[in-house]
Amino acid sequence: MMTRLICSVAALAVPLLLGNAPAKAANDSETQAILTEIRALKQSYESQITKLEKKFSELEKSTARSTAKSAIPATSGRGVRDNSFNPSIGVILNAKATTFSLDASEIAGFGIGEEGERGKEGLSLGETELNFSANVDDKFYGSGTVAIVQEDGEDKIELEEAYIQTLPDAPLPEGVRIKAGRAFWTLGYLNDHHAHSDDFTDRPLPYRAFLNKAFNDDGVQVTYILPTDTFAELGGGVFRGDDFPSGSSSSGLGAWSAFARVGGDFGDNHSWRLGGYTLQSDVNSRTSNEDTVTFAGQSDLYATDLRYTWAPTGNPRQRELILQAEYFYRDEDGTYADSSAGTGNVAFDDGSSGWYAQSIFKFSPAWRAGLRYTQLDAADAPAGLVGSALDSSGHNPYAMSIMGDWTNSEFGRIRLQFSREELAEGRKDNQTYLQYVMSIGAHGAHPF
Amino acid sequence: MNWKHFLLPALLSVITLPSAAYAELRIFACEPEWAALAREVGGDKVNAFSATHVGQDPHYIRARPSLVSQIRRADLLFCSGAGLEAGWLPILMQRGAKSGIQPGKLGHLIAVNHVAVLEIPAVLDRRLGDIHAEGNPHVHMDPRNILILARELTNRLTMLDEENAAHYRKRLENFETSWSRALKGWEVRAKKLSGMAVIVHHKSWVYLVSWLGLQQMATLEPKPGMPPTPSHLTALLKVSRGQSVKAIMRTPYDPANGSEWLATKTDIPAIVLPYTVARDAGPGALAQMFERTLSLLETARAKR
Repeated sequence: MMTRLICSVAALAVPLLLGNAPAKAANDSETQAILTEIRALKQSYESQITKLEKKFSELEKSTARSTAKSAIPATSGRGVRDNSFNPSIGVILNAKATTFSLDASEIAGFGIGEEGERGKEGLSLGETELNFSANVDDKFYGSGTVAIVQEDGEDKIELEEAYIQTLPDAPLPEGVRIKAGRAFWTLGYLNDHHAHSDDFTDRPLPYRAFLNKAFNDDGVQVTYILPTDTFAELGGGVFRGDDFPSGSSSSGLGAWSAFARVGGDFGDNHSWRLGGYTLQSDVNSRTSNEDTVTFAGQSDLYATDLRYTWAPTGNPRQRELILQAEYFYRDEDGTYADSSAGTGNVAFDDGSSGWYAQSIFKFSPAWRAGLRYTQLDAADAPAGLVGSALDSSGHNPYAMSIMGDWTNSEFGRIRLQFSREELAEGRKDNQTYLQYVMSIGAHGAHPF
Repeated sequence: MNWKHFLLPALLSVITLPSAAYAELRIFACEPEWAALAREVGGDKVNAFSATHVGQDPHYIRARPSLVSQIRRADLLFCSGAGLEAGWLPILMQRGAKSGIQPGKLGHLIAVNHVAVLEIPAVLDRRLGDIHAEGNPHVHMDPRNILILARELTNRLTMLDEENAAHYRKRLENFETSWSRALKGWEVRAKKLSGMAVIVHHKSWVYLVSWLGLQQMATLEPKPGMPPTPSHLTALLKVSRGQSVKAIMRTPYDPANGSEWLATKTDIPAIVLPYTVARDAGPGALAQMFERTLSLLETARAKR
């Protein structure tokens, strides 16, 4: 009723306002036309409101009926608070203060995408993530995440995720789920986690070199969880082939993936998960190193990850040890070109690899400390690429990090991290990061 | 690009492997007390699994792979609700659970939906701590609620497993008889405990406090979910001096340091009440839990 009143008042007020200055200048017929239009508008609003009110009262009746049917005893005489008709909204706020001892940082021997590069020095805002998610209906769940980032002095909006996913009520075999759209796809441990839940400020080297931080192409992925005592999951996906390690897909179907994961518990307080993954990309043209390095050909990535957690009392909130490691191997067959070194297209058929291992220890509910070592193993540059960005000169890029963070609540964390990187021969970079990551609004639980 | 390369994994992932036939109904209980209740009513016709054990705080559990594989095969979900499992259950439900245990289905049994809920907050703000919008979830600490839920569970079991309906009804009948008898005894003892002043670690005891008529003077947590701070504990020292507080109560999973510190400063006994039962507790364990809770309180009351 209230809305109807407001609408009527608004509908009456609009002609009054319009009846002033502009109407004086306009002739009568114009005023008349506007008035007629407003009347029509008012009528259509009113009829729509009546319709809505009717629908609402019908809905109320049907809800009352269904509650009566569901055999829930009358002992709970209260309304259940429920916002299932609104999407959950969450915002991740994060920023950091950084110092580097080197002016510039390049990972020798690899074509590095923009997201894989070292971050900005000084004070800077990280990715501000906005997430909207809700069940679409009984069969689908939908989620969208946009990140607002500053690139080249301009705030840009990046669509990180926009996907739908089947719910258990969808007509699929038990244990099967399909996810479609754009998402952080299942590949290794970190890829399907948002960066804000990472334990270190920056992603480890294999993620920077092989995935440009994360693989979130457009595509579709099927997952099947086996009905076994030990957790076992199989899956695979097909992707457009636009996102790193692919690029500029011509067919619109340039990459596919497959994976298998197993996991379980040892006793009450130890848990583990082991996975094997592959991402096979038919790369039309992938540019990196600020558009100077181009790759075309087949790029196949194989990965394995292991995660082990131990909560001494069973309460990960009190104390917990997390060990995590991933290994990546990339096999590429195609051509590389480095325009800044003027190499032209050079045939390339070789493998490179990268890994990291990290350990996080939570020694009290609010405090954690962590160590990480990460390394890349570049391929030997063929004669045509000697002296280019793809020539590692036999150096294996590595980085060591140590971090400590303070978690005031589940929703806010402040972290201090020191890293030493030697990403090119003799180029040692000492880094300091002071970072906060906080979330407001709805924030879904993080997977294992 | 070769299509055959990805057809194989895609096919593999769609084929449903023949699942082994299980004679019994599989129950996924979020907390040990509900698993124990399921065994009381279900007997050997059910296989009840508890996602948490007695030493675990059910607020903070990781959505571990083993829990995904357990919920994947469950025919009935039995949890406290009201946000107690908000940090981990939704992700398990979305990842692996069957259609039959989704919200609104017969196999989705949430305790708080069937009993009178206390402490429904008027204001929701995270500055107030980790508060539950739907009220206090620790409903199993009132033994009268156990009876209500035993009946509701039997309703669900008889509908999900019609073949064994008579078995469930018979077991419920036996449980009701013994529980009602025990309840009468507990209520006589409760009269003597009525008015006893206590300090609690977390608001895990509201239902027990309300059933027994205890007086909850303060919580060690300055705000729900926030660990006790030195300044808050010092303030509590003053509170407890003026009052004749008889006990500082905590669950087996609450950290001991806060209540032990206060206990040594004030001479008020710090007691660990059972709060729940063993993960694989059999029939009778729930009654023993209340027996032990009452006798611990009686001892504490007699001391001062």
